[in-house]
Amino acid sequence: MFRLMLTTALSAALTTAAFAADITVGAANVSPYLDPGRDHSNVGSQFYYNSFDTLIDRDHTKLESVWVPALATSWELIDPTTMELKLRHGVTFHNGEAMTADDVVFSLNRMFQATFAPYAVRAKDRLGNFSGAEKVDDYTVRIHAVREEPLWETLVSLQQIMIIPEDYTKGLTGDPAVAEDSDYEAFSMAPVGTGPYKVAEFMPGEKIVWERFDNFWGDKAPLDRATVVQISETASRITALKTGEADIVTNIAPDQLSLIDNDPALKTEGAATALFHVMIMNQNNPKLKDPRIRQAMSLAIDRDTLNEALWQGKAIVPSSHTMMEMGDLYMPELKTFEYDPEKAKALLKEAGYDGFEITYDTAATYYTNGLLAAQAIMEMWAAVGINGRVNVQDQWSGNDPEMMARNWSNPMYFADPFGSFGVMWAPNGPSEGEGRFNTDADYAEKWDRFRFSKDVDARRAAYAELMERIKQDPPVLPLYRPFESWGMKQSVNWAPQPGHIPYVLDFRAGSISLAGS
Amino acid sequence: MTAYLLRIFIKMAVTLFAILTITFIATRLSGNPIDTFLGEGLTAEGREKLIAYFQLDRSLWHQYLAFLRAAASGDFGLSFVERRPVTQVIASRIWPSAQLLLTSVSLTLLVSIPLGVLAAVYRKSWIGSAVMVIAFAGYAVPAFILAIVMILIFSYTLNWLPVVGNGSFLHFIMPTIALSGVLVAALTRFTRNAMLDVLGQEYIRTARAKGLSEFWVVMRHGLGNASITVISVIGLQIASLAAAGSVVVESIFSWPGIGQLLVNAAIVRDYPVLQFGVITVAVAVVLINAVTDIAYALADPRIRLAKS
Repeated sequence: MFRLMLTTALSAALTTAAFAADITVGAANVSPYLDPGRDHSNVGSQFYYNSFDTLIDRDHTKLESVWVPALATSWELIDPTTMELKLRHGVTFHNGEAMTADDVVFSLNRMFQATFAPYAVRAKDRLGNFSGAEKVDDYTVRIHAVREEPLWETLVSLQQIMIIPEDYTKGLTGDPAVAEDSDYEAFSMAPVGTGPYKVAEFMPGEKIVWERFDNFWGDKAPLDRATVVQISETASRITALKTGEADIVTNIAPDQLSLIDNDPALKTEGAATALFHVMIMNQNNPKLKDPRIRQAMSLAIDRDTLNEALWQGKAIVPSSHTMMEMGDLYMPELKTFEYDPEKAKALLKEAGYDGFEITYDTAATYYTNGLLAAQAIMEMWAAVGINGRVNVQDQWSGNDPEMMARNWSNPMYFADPFGSFGVMWAPNGPSEGEGRFNTDADYAEKWDRFRFSKDVDARRAAYAELMERIKQDPPVLPLYRPFESWGMKQSVNWAPQPGHIPYVLDFRAGSISLAGS
Repeated sequence: MTAYLLRIFIKMAVTLFAILTITFIATRLSGNPIDTFLGEGLTAEGREKLIAYFQLDRSLWHQYLAFLRAAASGDFGLSFVERRPVTQVIASRIWPSAQLLLTSVSLTLLVSIPLGVLAAVYRKSWIGSAVMVIAFAGYAVPAFILAIVMILIFSYTLNWLPVVGNGSFLHFIMPTIALSGVLVAALTRFTRNAMLDVLGQEYIRTARAKGLSEFWVVMRHGLGNASITVISVIGLQIASLAAAGSVVVESIFSWPGIGQLLVNAAIVRDYPVLQFGVITVAVAVVLINAVTDIAYALADPRIRLAKS
């Protein structure tokens, strides 16, 4: 009887509308703010695609880049540094405003010519080649590049230049005719886009409620409503899936998969994420100046064993800093990173390594399996004679001159080596900026050829040369692409799609369906 | 009386000001938000830009004065992480925490005082021993273990109770029990000891000799006097719970409360949230102490009469 009462009360509390297509997602993290422009975090990337559109989109069911019209219906280069885009008619923002060229120019220039610091830092590393956008007429815009751009579509489809409404944003605070910093701050608490779901409710770090946007220009959204709630504890997420409080849960570690898979009402979906967990090594630590020592640190690590032991073999161990998503620029034939303990021993001997301690910093829980990997790496180092020690600390040490080695990640911000290696290891990029990586004129010339060559083969050749530089004087070792899993009810048809950047929760038409609705 | 209240008020203000200053300095000495949550993938130039944007490039002294000036007008700034005023951030979180605190304290009182009285009255029978065994066991089980075990039984296996959030009455059951567990154990023991102490007093023998029923002896003369000790203990326990105790339980049950918020704010060095959050908790603790004092005075005629 008690049980009956409880279940009745429970279903009364939990069921809102019995037959509506309505789901709840239990996410490990919910963003503290929602603004596709300033954000490039793995937490944020989950949420933007449902509510915002880019001018050009890609077919996300495919690994390779197939460009499809989105807010732009067609585009062409009218000269080598200018792209002209025809905009879609009849597009409405969630607040009812019609989208015109003014909104598009505003959205693009808020990044290309950023005055707001959080935009400026995100725009510089990937959109730096674009000088501005201009309106030709109400449904035509032009984007101007400084130099000839080999990656037009790739960059125009970036999350950071998703389209937002001009008048709405400017009117949020202060003078409605001027875009103030405070307007952008306010926008990130009350985001408005053109996508198939509007953000109906947003409680930072806690909850996002999406509702179908009936005036969406494209295919009708399959869900009436989707609620994302933050459930930070893994055990609680899995339990919420079991109790029916959640229909999908995110971030399930490999060793927890069986808890879900053993339940006939539940299943898991997963993929090797387009992101490398890496080990970085400080080129400028006096003790590690000799590249042979860093080569040995890298050669000593048996990444396939890490994959088997920590990821049940489901992660992907790369031979170079390359991912299959990168299409023509995918270069698995490069053997930049290898496991060769004998060579490691020989190099240590040549370099006169005297057994000094090499520390490896890691946070306790930040990267899935990060601490376990660090401990395993210490054993592998010991096997070639390196005296390693794991240093567990939450503070980021990548900019600390004393840092010797630590873990980090190199996400794929977009599907090109420029979107991963090219951002993180650019001349004057974040790694050099933190003082643990050095570049010279030769490296800069190679990087520039890789970034801007019009010809694919020239880009490939330049990238191979860059990888050779990395191999000779290593600042980084990509360990693996972690295997990321989602748990869900059997009735939910959803899986991460290969054409997205990591972690996107794509609930658009064709990407999700519920059995019986 | 006015002078007395004024003195309390001034003392409170000085305490809060000291706490504020210490928090301000301690957070800034222990790292900055640019190197924690904002740091990944930043160029050196980008880092400088953000530091300037968040006005962290000014001297500590300058930042402190600017903060005091703004705080005086009620403006505690925007959260570095959530881009809205920290007063809003904290306000949205404080009520769920307060609710949980209330249910937990109520449950604690309802359970531990009768148990403590029982254990004292029947101290020589198996009832007294059983209560004490339970109390000791409860004391030994940390809240997060209790929470996980309850989740395993009542949610994972039986599917009776929800684990996420604070949406309904049912959502309160497990977090309340988890949070009360240690409190119940502690307060049961305190009540028992206080009762034993009181029941051994001469006036209890007198009450019995007057021919009062045992129930009245225990409840009115026994518990009435024991409650003075019990109240002061409750006050302390609630204050510690309000300050930090609920972090783990809130996290496990995805409770949208202030505990989790403050821990996250500390990790990413969200200075404005930390500052205002610490002030809020400090005010709460000060208020709880004041309420305890008043309750204490009401329960103890010596204090009540001396003050009036």
